[in-house]
Amino acid sequence: MTQALRTLPATRAKDTRPKLRIFEFKSDIPASWRLTLGVAVWILFFAIWQIAAWSGVMPAILLPGPGKVLTALYTLFAENGFLGDVMVSVWRVMFSFALACAVAVPLGILMGAFKSVEAFFSPFVSAWRYLPAPSFIPLLLMWFGAGDAQKLALLFIGVIWFLITLIADHTKAVPKDLINTSVTLGGSRWQVLRTVVVPAALPNIVIAMRQMLAVSWTYLVIAEITAADAGIGAMMMRAKRFLHVDQIMAGILVIGLLGLIFDYLLRALHRRAFQYLDEYS
Amino acid sequence: MQSSTILSVQNVCKTFPTRGGGVEALRDVSFSVARNELCVLLGPSGCGKSTLLNIVAGLHTPTSGTLSLEGRPIHGPARERGMVFQSYTSFPWLTVLENVEYGVKLNGIPKAERRERALHYIGLVHLTKFRDSYPKTLSGGMKQRVAIARTLANAPEILLMDEPYGALDAETRWHMQEMLLDIMRTTQTTILLVTHDIQEAIFLADRIVFLSAHPGRLKTILELDFKKGKEIRSKEDLVELSGYPECEREIMQLMRGEAKQEEDA
Repeated sequence: MTQALRTLPATRAKDTRPKLRIFEFKSDIPASWRLTLGVAVWILFFAIWQIAAWSGVMPAILLPGPGKVLTALYTLFAENGFLGDVMVSVWRVMFSFALACAVAVPLGILMGAFKSVEAFFSPFVSAWRYLPAPSFIPLLLMWFGAGDAQKLALLFIGVIWFLITLIADHTKAVPKDLINTSVTLGGSRWQVLRTVVVPAALPNIVIAMRQMLAVSWTYLVIAEITAADAGIGAMMMRAKRFLHVDQIMAGILVIGLLGLIFDYLLRALHRRAFQYLDEYS
Repeated sequence: MQSSTILSVQNVCKTFPTRGGGVEALRDVSFSVARNELCVLLGPSGCGKSTLLNIVAGLHTPTSGTLSLEGRPIHGPARERGMVFQSYTSFPWLTVLENVEYGVKLNGIPKAERRERALHYIGLVHLTKFRDSYPKTLSGGMKQRVAIARTLANAPEILLMDEPYGALDAETRWHMQEMLLDIMRTTQTTILLVTHDIQEAIFLADRIVFLSAHPGRLKTILELDFKKGKEIRSKEDLVELSGYPECEREIMQLMRGEAKQEEDA
């Protein structure tokens, strides 16, 4: 062996065990820590809530403890027919969101795929995006009354503009080379759209839907609080009249849980449908 | 030679419009590619070689000049001019087999024939074991092999390759280059390939079309006479060939001359 390629004796490393540190920029932590920390924040929250309720900083009627809220939740379901309200709310979100998707998905894809379609719709969509949906409530109440149509309309205009914009952006991000690959293999415009643009954008479209479904829940409560005879928000406004703070809090709890469940379902759908992706993003 | 011409490029100019009046990418470029030939477009960066390939593919239109394939004028992209890109273009939602079948399916070939053709070309690029895998499980070199098989399965009259191995590491690149020569030998394909890698150009090319930069013009066409009649299967075969060092030096000087002009300008 030549001098230049002589191997050097390995130096003994002092301590090769990686130290686990709590605060390390962007480095991963063990799964058990993640779970413990995730549970800990909730325990802390309920503890502070309970202590605040006991301490008497507010009258007990305005700040019931977690135990009282859970009891109220049980009573609501068991005796007050709350399940009906929940179903009405879920139906309103699902139906209005399906309508919004039926418009936004094809329109967003076409806007992202063709500059001409974008040039036509984009100034219109962008303008509407800056109008807060709740500002339409007085108008919607006059047009549709206090019934379902008004709620559905508010939920629809609350998400549609953002949904269109997000879907158009995700479609625009489809790599040009994927499109050109299909084109140079003889793909027609329609074939390229159907076999490349749509499947390439679809995973991100589902993510956009997940994000906007969460927004839809926000508008649902606004719609039901302003005027409704059924739904979770309506129950909460009834409870306010009778100073049932525990029921109002139970309503908040249910809305949060439903939001979580929907988010989880769409996340699971995404993972199942797009197993071919590198990793879940 | 003239009779076997498959692709003809005549007086092609391309100026990209910009606010300040336009950038001239190609000026009066003419060359032709013969049937079953591997022709390499080589030149320094900014010589417009990728633009020229895109024009042949029909993805760009020339500002002036004419192009024809088998005597038919080229207007827009078509199946007869299949292209392999530098970026990985395997469709991630399709398996290897589905990817290779993709183009054949677009063109309405019945299922049985489609399957048979796809499997043949998957075998040719040594991916039979991975026919049911999704691209996420494949390495960069394997993804490029999928792209090559997909284009070949579509039976193009000429295969266009835009720096197909540019993103691969050195060792993978050798294997891919050797495999491409193997495919050339067994399938009677005509290839027009863009690269900036001098050794790759010499190894693969029957003929090198050398472009100079700013704007891209035809500098010279190099016939690689020292390779004629020699059996070259590996990189080692090439570097041992007499005439190789001289050829490499000549092209290096062409490249360097270009770089020098750039500095002087």
